[in-house]
Amino acid sequence: MKKIHIPQNSRFFAYSTLFIIALSTAPGIFPGLSTGKAFAADPQITIPLRFDRYYDYEQLVEAMQKLHEAFPELSEIEVVGKSEEQREIWAITIHNPETGDHSEKPGVYVDGNIHGNEIQAGEVCLYLANMLLTKYGQNEKITELVDKNVFYIIPCVNVDGRYHFFNDPNTPSTNRGLRIPVDDDRDGLFDEDFPDDMDGDGNICQMRKKDPNGNYRLDPEDPRVMVRVRPGEQGAYTLLGQEGIDNDGDGQVNEDAEGYVDPNRNWGYNWAPRYVQNGSGNYPFSGSGIRAIGEFLLERPNIIMVWAFHNSGGMILRGPGTRSGGEFSRGDLAVYDYLGQHSESIIPGYRYLVVWKDLYSTYGDFTSFTDNLLGSYSLVGEMFMRESQTYRPHGSEQAGNEQGYFRENTEQQKELLKFNDNVVQGELYKEWESYDHPVYGEIEIGGWSKLSSRLPHPFMLQDEVHRVASAVLFTAEQTPEIKMDLYEKEKISGDLYRLRIRLTNSKAMPSMTDRSLKSGLYPKDIITVEGSHIQVVAGGEIQDRYRDRVSYKEYKPEVQFTQVPGFGHVEYEFLVSGKGSMTIAYHSRKAGRKKLELEL
Amino acid sequence: MKNIFGHLVPVVYLFISVLFMSGFTPVRAQQDKYPDPAQINRSLRALQRSNPAFSELNLLTTSPGNNEVLLLEIGKEVASGEKTNPAILVVGNLEGNRPLASLAALSLAERILDDPGTYANRTWYIVPAGNPDALYSYFRDPLFENTRNASPHNDDRDEATDEDGFNDLNGDGYITKMRIIHPEGEWIQVKDDPRLMRRADPVKGEQGIYRIFDEGLDADGDGKYNEDGPGGTNVNINFPHLFKAFDPESGLYPGSSPEGRAILEFAYVHPEIAMTFAFGATNFCHTPPRGGRRGEVDLTRIEIPERYAEMFGADPGRTYSMEEIIALVQPMVPEGVTVDESMVAGFLGLGAAINPMEEDLAFYNLLSEDYRKYLEEKNAKEERFDPDRARDGSFELWCYYHLGVPVFSMDLWSVPKPAREEKEGSGLSPEQLEKMTSEEFLALGEEKIAAFMEEACVPEQFSAKEVMASVKGGQTDPAQLAAMVKQMPKKGKDGEDANPEEKANPKEKAMLDYSDKALGGKGFVQWEKFEHPQLGELEIGGFVPFTATTPPCSITDSILDLHLPWIFKLSERLPSLGIYETRVTPKGAGVYQLEVWVENASFLPFPTAMGRRNRQPAPAVVLLEGKGYTLLSGYPRTPVADLKGNSRKKLTWLVRAEKKTDILVSLTSKSAGSDQTTVNIGG
Repeated sequence: MKKIHIPQNSRFFAYSTLFIIALSTAPGIFPGLSTGKAFAADPQITIPLRFDRYYDYEQLVEAMQKLHEAFPELSEIEVVGKSEEQREIWAITIHNPETGDHSEKPGVYVDGNIHGNEIQAGEVCLYLANMLLTKYGQNEKITELVDKNVFYIIPCVNVDGRYHFFNDPNTPSTNRGLRIPVDDDRDGLFDEDFPDDMDGDGNICQMRKKDPNGNYRLDPEDPRVMVRVRPGEQGAYTLLGQEGIDNDGDGQVNEDAEGYVDPNRNWGYNWAPRYVQNGSGNYPFSGSGIRAIGEFLLERPNIIMVWAFHNSGGMILRGPGTRSGGEFSRGDLAVYDYLGQHSESIIPGYRYLVVWKDLYSTYGDFTSFTDNLLGSYSLVGEMFMRESQTYRPHGSEQAGNEQGYFRENTEQQKELLKFNDNVVQGELYKEWESYDHPVYGEIEIGGWSKLSSRLPHPFMLQDEVHRVASAVLFTAEQTPEIKMDLYEKEKISGDLYRLRIRLTNSKAMPSMTDRSLKSGLYPKDIITVEGSHIQVVAGGEIQDRYRDRVSYKEYKPEVQFTQVPGFGHVEYEFLVSGKGSMTIAYHSRKAGRKKLELEL
Repeated sequence: MKNIFGHLVPVVYLFISVLFMSGFTPVRAQQDKYPDPAQINRSLRALQRSNPAFSELNLLTTSPGNNEVLLLEIGKEVASGEKTNPAILVVGNLEGNRPLASLAALSLAERILDDPGTYANRTWYIVPAGNPDALYSYFRDPLFENTRNASPHNDDRDEATDEDGFNDLNGDGYITKMRIIHPEGEWIQVKDDPRLMRRADPVKGEQGIYRIFDEGLDADGDGKYNEDGPGGTNVNINFPHLFKAFDPESGLYPGSSPEGRAILEFAYVHPEIAMTFAFGATNFCHTPPRGGRRGEVDLTRIEIPERYAEMFGADPGRTYSMEEIIALVQPMVPEGVTVDESMVAGFLGLGAAINPMEEDLAFYNLLSEDYRKYLEEKNAKEERFDPDRARDGSFELWCYYHLGVPVFSMDLWSVPKPAREEKEGSGLSPEQLEKMTSEEFLALGEEKIAAFMEEACVPEQFSAKEVMASVKGGQTDPAQLAAMVKQMPKKGKDGEDANPEEKANPKEKAMLDYSDKALGGKGFVQWEKFEHPQLGELEIGGFVPFTATTPPCSITDSILDLHLPWIFKLSERLPSLGIYETRVTPKGAGVYQLEVWVENASFLPFPTAMGRRNRQPAPAVVLLEGKGYTLLSGYPRTPVADLKGNSRKKLTWLVRAEKKTDILVSLTSKSAGSDQTTVNIGG
């Protein structure tokens, strides 16, 4: 891992200042709506980091660099790889090197913003890093974690997506994918018809046109809400979709924007091509950044806990991604449920769910990769619940009419609009304004801005990232902690001894997942008995120590393979002949090393 | 004169230096032994140097064993980045254990360069040695068959990697087998030929005698023999279609081997690839890709889970076809969104295709018949064992299912099948039997019924006589018999017995026969006693590695001369798009109807049905260009997603033109050719 010298970023300051000037001179545009920059406008990045704001790509990198500068002894930062547009993907590694090499500690990997528009997933990573570093030595629990574990944090995976989400006009859901051109509409041209920011306000909103034959009318209580007409009712409006024109003259509007290659469908386990699911690249690890992160992870086999952050919905998701992925063993499920249920309590409103069963099938998704090929317990955090944008007195129920995937909930829409009007002073919604469209003529443009819908307003951000980071810390606490004791040393005869050891795990996670044990992903933990004047005559796992039942290993008794269960222990017996000093060593890929030295 | 001399010197010098540097001798002349990866690469370099205008050499990657994987491009567009000619990607020996496959690819390259007609309007991309690390095993002592590249892999998941490989204990240069008499022995000698072994069948009262191991030591003292030899990934099963995770040879994920990854990457940046060809263990020319596999879902009978069923107004208790589901979902999605198969497959989690599309099997079957006829015409018809099936995760399956192009392959040679005694068959099928009356059945006579029973594997304890008696007595009837017969285990395709334990494996028998008759016994090492340091007294013997797959190099000329020309014949069947006809019909008031028929004048479809399903091959596009007209209907750019073999499709525009003008109509495709024509309109 290389340390990076950080240059002073004066260009950035100048850029931000320019930007603020540009905003204040733009007529008729409310600055809060204009771009993501508005939420990230403060050029000053100070440690501890502030979380009443969002960081754009460059600020996010600068924040990581500043964190490292402030805590050089506990952190390292590095460029993991580069994106399609040559932006750097940065990782920050946090641990106390004085307590051992990072590769010998249970690794906790956390990333976010693999979908470019899901920006608060980057903030939660920054918050976690900030918390670990600024509270080290102040808070006992955090100090213990930084001493015992290593945290590998990549706050922004899809750096191009984050960049374009902040800097380009968007809906809340655009710029999700990678910048790999795909001919979405199969016309031989690639990425030729993006949505267009017709009114230049930095958002891709909706277009609607007055039309007595339209399928929609305005809600009489709030004319911003569009209601589908019922049979016999007179319509007033037609919805024309996202802001835009037919850029390529093929009769379709906005049908071939960036990508679409979904970075969360391009990992190396249970991958499937585009005809099975949209968003697959051509093969696993399509995307230079994804591939670099894949290598980064495989080089860190000590990682046993993985968190990947997204928005939205308020969910903590576990695998498998598809039904055919197979349910976890009882042992692994117990771990997942323990972590998931505690996380549900730490973050009120969040639900602990199973990807394929409760959402939809995902092939080649990131956590399937880490579950299966990295051998880590892996959770996805879908941050932010739109329901948290409440507007109602204490104790009253949320208003709502019938709702479904394809049905509208006008009552909830109205509550959200009141939240927008009176709690965030109109910053999330763009009022409908008339516009002269080259094809449709006089239309209106308006609707939710790009910073709405999937992101907490900055005033709610700190609360959410703190709770979510606390769930990460809870799971980090549950990484295996192994103790090895010699609990019996008995001389049988002459120089023949019976040695009995116990490996005890005081945490919820076993020393390797059952899933990787079953698939044979990598060798089990190894116990070796060595000494220059000794011979291991027999050895094996103790099944019942009161009845001396031991399953002796027929060959090479001096090498034993094991897994130490969560909140549990295993015991081994060795019949050793000889004399002098000897060692019993335990080595686990995920749970570190232990050693006993003794004399016969 | 001076000028000529001035030119000549460098040319001669170049020529000499090429010979010197490459050590090149033409492929065909060097038939005493197969070329190793280094020789293959030297030959490729030499071929390229002697044809610099029409060939280019690309370094695809370097293998974990530090061998270069080279790709030779041949065609008239070698210098240009954008290719207009359709291309054929030929990959040899991805399994690495088929020296003949590499030789064939090399020979194909030479034949192409010898005949400019073969590349007049085609580009060829040829990778003769896709798995050079494994191929080297054929040239090393001791000889053993290896399909794995040189990346390390801890096969037995112990504390060491690649620590326990084979050992040539008897020093004969081959890794064969060890057989040892053991209390838990499972094997016995075959009665007809005690050189061959078969498993004892305890149910029949047989007691196993021998245990069999590969030749070697237990190098790491863990009680297992040769369980973790050097080597990692078999490149040919490192591809993404039905990739088999956690197989010790498949690699960690699809494309995890540099060789596999390089081919994946190459294929997708060359959309002009219209067909692929593999030299290896399969033979799609002879035996089309296998269908009839059972998968997770049948696309004609899809269940809709309750939570979706309610939403769509579907019945969770019944099943739906893909078309029905699309019709159900379409009205539910926002305007402008078209529901297609992959969208449905996505939210219902239907997974990957596992059987070739019917339409594609049709052309595969026809071409396979043509191939057999071609061989017959060359008097080369011989009974052969079925070629290997394409393995899950293989290059062949990936080409078909993911690239969406027709893929063909050849195994080129197999051990000849010994001639079978032809018995007169009964000519009866269970289906015929089903419809017979008892009288018709009895009229067949004892001999025919006995023959039928034997074919149907009816156990010997039932005689034709007894069966006839019970039919006569009314205890059974032909329909019942037919039903019983259908339940019987069937004979294998190669005439293997349903219970192969009873006799020697027929392929092994054929190999032994071949070794005895054609190789003077050199294909088999006689069992001989050996004092094994760990196992004690045992015997070492068995087939010489490569006997089943690799003919003596001396006969490869005739094999290649026979089979390789078929590839040129296949290449002529590639889809070929063109503009067949244009028609302009005046509609009055300066309005015209323009009709353009585009055609695929060749046999193979554009693209394959699978290519259509996975939307991978780039579409063809018809462009209208010109001035002085406006389109009243239709667009200047019209994609043509598919054109089946020997078919035409009409495209129509309404055009308004006040004055006479020309419209340039052009058809372009990445992989099936281009065409253009000018139509006069207006005036």
